Amino acid sequence: MTRLVDTHARRRASAGSAWGHRSVAAVASLIALFLGLPVVALVGRALLDGSLAASLTSRVVLDALLLSLVTTAVSLVLTVVFGLPLAFVLARRSFPGKGWLEAIIDLPIVLPPSVAGLALLIVFGRRGVLAEPFGVLGIAIPFTTVAVILAQTFVSAPFFIRSARTGIASVDRDLEDAARADGASERQLFRSITVPLASAALAAGLVMTWARSLGEFGATIMFAGNVAGRTQTLPLVVYGEFQQGNLDSSIAAAAILVLAAFGVLVAVRVFHWSRVLDARGIS
Amino acid sequence: MTRIETAARVGVLVVVLAGCTSRATASATGAASPAANLTIYGAASLKSALDKAKPAWEAAHPGSTLTIATDSSAALETQIEQGAPADVFLSADTTNPKKLADKGLAAGAAVSFAGNKLTVIVPTANPAAIKSPADLAKAGVKVIAAGDAVPITNYATQLVANLAKESGYPSDYVAAYAANIASKEDNVKAVVAKIELGEGDAGIVYVTDAKASTKVVTIDVPDAANVPATYAGVVVKASPNAAAAKAFLDWLAGPDGQAILAGFGFLPPS
Repeated sequence: MTRLVDTHARRRASAGSAWGHRSVAAVASLIALFLGLPVVALVGRALLDGSLAASLTSRVVLDALLLSLVTTAVSLVLTVVFGLPLAFVLARRSFPGKGWLEAIIDLPIVLPPSVAGLALLIVFGRRGVLAEPFGVLGIAIPFTTVAVILAQTFVSAPFFIRSARTGIASVDRDLEDAARADGASERQLFRSITVPLASAALAAGLVMTWARSLGEFGATIMFAGNVAGRTQTLPLVVYGEFQQGNLDSSIAAAAILVLAAFGVLVAVRVFHWSRVLDARGIS
Repeated sequence: MTRIETAARVGVLVVVLAGCTSRATASATGAASPAANLTIYGAASLKSALDKAKPAWEAAHPGSTLTIATDSSAALETQIEQGAPADVFLSADTTNPKKLADKGLAAGAAVSFAGNKLTVIVPTANPAAIKSPADLAKAGVKVIAAGDAVPITNYATQLVANLAKESGYPSDYVAAYAANIASKEDNVKAVVAKIELGEGDAGIVYVTDAKASTKVVTIDVPDAANVPATYAGVVVKASPNAAAAKAFLDWLAGPDGQAILAGFGFLPPS
């Protein structure tokens, strides 16, 4: 009811100023154009000049596409395997320092990726914090495919953990208690009650995490370098090929990334995961 | 809480296993046969030559493969210091291999394998109407240069200093050139790319870069002022394939490698 009144009041206020209305629309369309045109122009050029089609036979782009798919798949698995227990603990338990832990987990979301890459190098590098034990074991991580996966996991896992934490916290505890009273084990409970009820949040977290790790650039180039077939993922092809003057390969790789990102957003809308993401944004 | 601890323990294990696996594969292939998978970190200006050297080396050494990574020699040197798995480091100067050797990260002496000279490139349309290197100091010319640690920058700085002493060059040539620098790129190939795209008016690059591009025009530099570049390579100490790496370096400095390099306009090492 209050909402209806509000709308009426708003309409009356704006009706008095058609000019104001129009100028708002003009400014709004300007910014919409600014946000939309570069991406549309990029994909348009990739399709029209045939560079997207040609990239399907380009070794550089295909190698990077394969590497991107494999590394993001592995980092996604790592994120779920380690992130889900953490999200569960954060949603259900309270313990001293929990606020600090949550802040640390969220940090990679706001950290510049180059900082993330440097930080990973400081830990896993040849002169890093873990250099001695790793040296003894003969493990060398920086500038390998493993480094690509670690960089992606580092920057993207927080998206899943945040989303899963919110999803699990919103599951009705009474339902779990009821299942428990019926003799369900904690494991059964988690599998059959908690996860299904939190599934929208988990799915939203998964696609956002995947999209972030697919687009990962800064941490990867700092920590994993830019070697074709080994550490050169699609975003690095966009940069590397541009740096060498191969604009076509660069645009083709960029267009693939735009289409993947767009696909993620469409999925979020189609499956109504956006409500979950909005709720997370508000909380 | 125990769940977290278990998860953490499993996590470390996964990372350790992944690391071991990649390492084990590398050394196994190195030990089992003389054929080896070598990773070559090379100066950006060597890219085309190395792309051609790869099939030639692989054909002459059945079962061997080369992985080529190119960037500025300075960036590659830093990456190797940080543990990048390179077997051979091919630099556009002698400074960066020396840096690696001084830190105890090189095996054996550096081998000079190529020489180069400098030239000025402009976009085909030449929008700033550059006719001689003197014009690089004209007001409003957008010069594309490379970052301070990149070898080409060192050579270009020497070239500009030499040119300033030539007759017909303004007295403030060095300062005016420096003031015209619009961008400092990661490596020399990126300088060429920006000129090809027409985003800059002129840049100082290697003669070989100018020769490799069809989208730029070369403005000749007076011979007396030109700066000879010497390319040196070194085997990385951490390489599990040191013998094969040394063989590759010698091959590159030998007749087969020199023929390929000469095809791209590289000079014999001075």
